[in-house]
Amino acid sequence: MKLFPLIGALALVARTAPAQGPATLTPRDSSLHALNRLAYGPRPGEVERVAGMGVLNWIDAQLQPDRIPDPVLAAKERAFPLLRMSRQDLADAYTAAQRARRARLADSMSRTAASPADPDPAAMTPEVRQARRLAGELQEVAVVRAALSERQLEEVMVDFWTNHFNVSLTKGADRFLLPDYVEHVIRPHALGKFRDLLIATARSPAMMFYLDNWESVAPGSEPPRGGGRRGAGGKAQPQGINENYARELLELHTLGVDGGYTQEDVINVARILTGWGITPPRQGADFAYRDWAHDRGAKVVMGVPYPAGGGEDEGRSLLSWLASQHATMHHVSRQLCARFVADDPPDGCVDDAVAAWERSDGDIREILRAIFHGPDFWAPANLNNKVKTPLEFLVSAVRAVSADPDSTPRLAQVVARLGEPLYQHVAPDGYPERQDDWVTSGALLARMNAAVAIAAGRLPGVTVDLDSVVPPTPDPDTLLDRINARVLGGAMSAHTRSVIRDELADLRDPAARRGFAVGLALGGPDFQKQ
Amino acid sequence: MVSRRVFVKSGGLALVSFGLDPLFLARAAFASPAPGHAPSGPILVCLFQRGAVDGLNMIVPHGDRIYYEERPRIAVPATDVIDLDGYFGLHPSLAPLKPLWDDKTLAVIHAAGSPDSSRSHFDAQDYMETGTPGSKTTPDGWLNRYCQHDREHADTPFHAVAFGPELPRILAGSAPALAIDDLQAFGLRAAGAGARDKVTRAFEALYQGGSTGLVASSSQEGFEAVRMLSGIDPASYTPANGASYPAGKLGRSLKEIAQLIKADLGLRVAFADVTGWDTHVNQGASEGQLAARLTDFAGSLAAFMRDLGDRRGDVVLLTMSEFGRTIRENGSSGTDHGHATAMLVLGGAVNGGKVLGRWPGLDPAQRFEGRDVAVTTDFRDLFGEVLARHLGAANLPAVFPGFAPDQARFPGAIRA
Repeated sequence: MKLFPLIGALALVARTAPAQGPATLTPRDSSLHALNRLAYGPRPGEVERVAGMGVLNWIDAQLQPDRIPDPVLAAKERAFPLLRMSRQDLADAYTAAQRARRARLADSMSRTAASPADPDPAAMTPEVRQARRLAGELQEVAVVRAALSERQLEEVMVDFWTNHFNVSLTKGADRFLLPDYVEHVIRPHALGKFRDLLIATARSPAMMFYLDNWESVAPGSEPPRGGGRRGAGGKAQPQGINENYARELLELHTLGVDGGYTQEDVINVARILTGWGITPPRQGADFAYRDWAHDRGAKVVMGVPYPAGGGEDEGRSLLSWLASQHATMHHVSRQLCARFVADDPPDGCVDDAVAAWERSDGDIREILRAIFHGPDFWAPANLNNKVKTPLEFLVSAVRAVSADPDSTPRLAQVVARLGEPLYQHVAPDGYPERQDDWVTSGALLARMNAAVAIAAGRLPGVTVDLDSVVPPTPDPDTLLDRINARVLGGAMSAHTRSVIRDELADLRDPAARRGFAVGLALGGPDFQKQ
Repeated sequence: MVSRRVFVKSGGLALVSFGLDPLFLARAAFASPAPGHAPSGPILVCLFQRGAVDGLNMIVPHGDRIYYEERPRIAVPATDVIDLDGYFGLHPSLAPLKPLWDDKTLAVIHAAGSPDSSRSHFDAQDYMETGTPGSKTTPDGWLNRYCQHDREHADTPFHAVAFGPELPRILAGSAPALAIDDLQAFGLRAAGAGARDKVTRAFEALYQGGSTGLVASSSQEGFEAVRMLSGIDPASYTPANGASYPAGKLGRSLKEIAQLIKADLGLRVAFADVTGWDTHVNQGASEGQLAARLTDFAGSLAAFMRDLGDRRGDVVLLTMSEFGRTIRENGSSGTDHGHATAMLVLGGAVNGGKVLGRWPGLDPAQRFEGRDVAVTTDFRDLFGEVLARHLGAANLPAVFPGFAPDQARFPGAIRA
């Protein structure tokens, strides 16, 4: 019987022996593995479904998300007004919040003392409340999509690129720029060409504000009369270049810290990108190239000359050049392999990804295909060798019991309490991928509490119907068989089984036993791994 | 990298054969509760005033006419200032701290801050927490790096604790650190003590023998922390010496830190933060917004020191803020983002009763970029001194990479 009909075609893609592919695993194991890595874990029955259609067929389908219907999510998304707001709507909300904040503070003249319990008198204006609500919606939408979307790989990749090109909600106006960034900069390119994604992020107001490029101007340049921008917080007119974005562009987004560039290159990249700015919020907070701020002198970046007199275009050609450098391919491929294969990515995975990058001119879909078809992805040592991030843990638990998220920000707040407040990573490197950064004693206890709560049906922000997943049953062995198959995707260890069985002994009520057992299964060590 | 998990206090448990009750054995190991869990030693409490506190209205240069000229509406009148040394004085809301100044357990470091010129809260807080001004990609915080290199005491889950829902940047990194939002709620939640014990025991059994590596050691730490806390009963804590903490978040955090200190759970570094210092509009003078924040601040600090009693000898509390505020008041009777600010050091080991650091003056020629108080004490020299002289840190270059700490530049905050 041929379980994997694509295996023949695979040999054309994978550089190494196809015998190392999923064929060495049982169909159930390979399906669970794929669902753990390309998706946020299996829903009840999904391991069998993927095994039934062939795991490689399922992977191929996930690589073409546009062809996957997603009606349940589409219906759910209608509960989020944020998704219907244009960039101008968001800019208007920002201006309103700013205006309200100033007015409220001025009004506090009459108050002799703000009470310590209410340290920020601006905190409660309706406009500021709206701003908070929008931020909450943005975070919740991400969790809901991760939980419900049929296009799981696309959601995983949106999360991956959102971290790779991190922008933080905590930085002032970025609260209003991020929804557009995630929706119209990251998402459309998540499985597209890396070059397009890079250029889109470079031109995005969110990134330009986050890493200060909007303030980077040629030394001595002056805005034309009437066309000037006012800095925030009483800041003076920007003087000269700001290297912040240029440095992170090279270090984090493209070449990597060992990519061979010098401080002089950082300065010249910053000079090339002078004039890339943002229109004022009243005019939509959109990308604007301001020629008056551009440094028109000659520059050299890593040996590549940019002759004097260049304008906006030299930035574009610089970004295209960066996107095709070997150091960039290697740096980004390593991160992809760390996400999908192992915290310390195997060289073979990275080599396969780089080769696919070269072949396909940086087509992310083809790079991923090479990783998923490579031997390292399926190596037994790389199964269950990664600890879930807080987002992965919570979303996989929601999926494991088919919980239905509501449209309040409460589920996203649980993710935050577990240590990963979405879009709030302050530093430009984004949330880490390594287990060392997530596994702490407090974090594990918090996961156990969340697991018990979801099994008991009292996790905020979701409705759980455990009866439809694991009906209560008086026999502990039947119960554990069902939990293993339906909730853990077959990953329950003998140790877990034996401990839970012992713990059930003094519980009489079948529903209580069932809830307790599911809570232990989700909060236990087996479910922390993927 | 330093081994993340030096802590396996009850390492013998790993040898316990299957079937025995590990919780019972662990309880037996901790049968004698409260004092004596861990030897007391020096403790550092860091307090971040997020939002950039106005150092000039906190520690007022009332002897300088420029201060009054530049702040016609918001200067604290000399008659209200609590004089310290003839030139500087405390904002009247800081009156509860005056006794600490008088008994020389409070020192002020004025004109302290970052060598980086950023006036972004976001960037400057990041720099002050990572301890690497100007570098945005430092992955860990300086307090965590201190813990990484302080192997000697890394034997309790309460070694490094941040009070808040998440671990702040300053404690992020490879050394274990706990984030505690509420001491009473730490651990597994269940309705009633019996249910809580049962679920705790079940999870402990699952992780013991069901996990390896980091997950195994971290979970063991967590269960140990839960056990240690259950021995001290946070719910019934009464502050000593009649100390009364203000009702806000800062007061609660400091009260819980005092509990941990007195319970001898091996606390070495603690962190808390307090917001509300970004006074762009109507910040007030002797009274008003800033005065209200300072009242809460001083009341919390004073209660903490009073509550500690004799343990003040072990503890140094260090305050910090990402930058100061403009010397001149703005058009909205507030102040905008500036450069240097004032930081406080409190505790038995403090070289108190002094305003330390070189005061650059308020004269326009002496200002940073012509408008702000210049930084004359790099925050790393102050933090480095406290780490070296109070906690005995031996490897400051590892805590502040790219910076060469120099005793000659230490402001002298800790008694030699």
